[in-house]
Amino acid sequence: MTNKSVENIEITCERTIPASPDEVFDAWLDPKIPGTPFHENEKLIVNPMVDGLWYWLFRGQPHYGRFTEFRRPGRIRHTWMSRKTLGEETMVTVTFQKKGEGTLMTLVHSGFASDGMAQAHEKAWNFILGNFAEIFGSERTAGNKTVTGQSI
Amino acid sequence: MDRLTPVLTAISHPTRRAIIAQLANGPARFLDVAKPFDTALNSVTKHLKLLGRAGLIERRRRGREVLISFRGEPLREVAGWVHEYESFWNERLDQFEQYFRNKKKKEKSE
Repeated sequence: MTNKSVENIEITCERTIPASPDEVFDAWLDPKIPGTPFHENEKLIVNPMVDGLWYWLFRGQPHYGRFTEFRRPGRIRHTWMSRKTLGEETMVTVTFQKKGEGTLMTLVHSGFASDGMAQAHEKAWNFILGNFAEIFGSERTAGNKTVTGQSI
Repeated sequence: MDRLTPVLTAISHPTRRAIIAQLANGPARFLDVAKPFDTALNSVTKHLKLLGRAGLIERRRRGREVLISFRGEPLREVAGWVHEYESFWNERLDQFEQYFRNKKKKEKSE
């Protein structure tokens, strides 16, 4: 499931993973495991603790952040900065909740339109996300490209 | 990425958004663009200048008339930027989920 809130430009993704929250939590920070945020890298430094910093060089693009919450096995929160966040600190929050025999994993990437960009641009974002389909009609999917292997 | 800023600035004003919505229906002459607004023509000119700087409109001469038309590409770039993050996380989580499904299958078969 994916949800985009037009008010805060927040991306939410959910998955149910067939493993316990402890296993999923530990795996999420293991760069050897496919699908984890730091999987595939040219250089990686991760200090997983509150106020610990991370650096991820991927396809020549540096990405930086700082862990702001680290609660095993329930929640990890860290900032995310890259060329594509326009120098702004965005926030990634991942929660792990027990669901049956598995784990409901919710990832929220927020803050795209915070501070520096947001105030003047909030209406602009709403306009883009709210009316884009209306303006472009069937061409809407042109902007919805697949980005496998791209740096974000 | 800096080229997104003029686009976001351009569409942050309601009048300019209304102009875009109007031009999305098809090219129009300056006076037709200005008609629905209560503002002075000078003000509409300024709005059009900002939209032009952002690459959201272009002017074309047709005979004696100058037609103003909407260009969607800059908006697509901005929307694509948000979609990139969405695609990135969805792909990562799909791979992550698949890793655990494969692991579970392997454990069962052993």
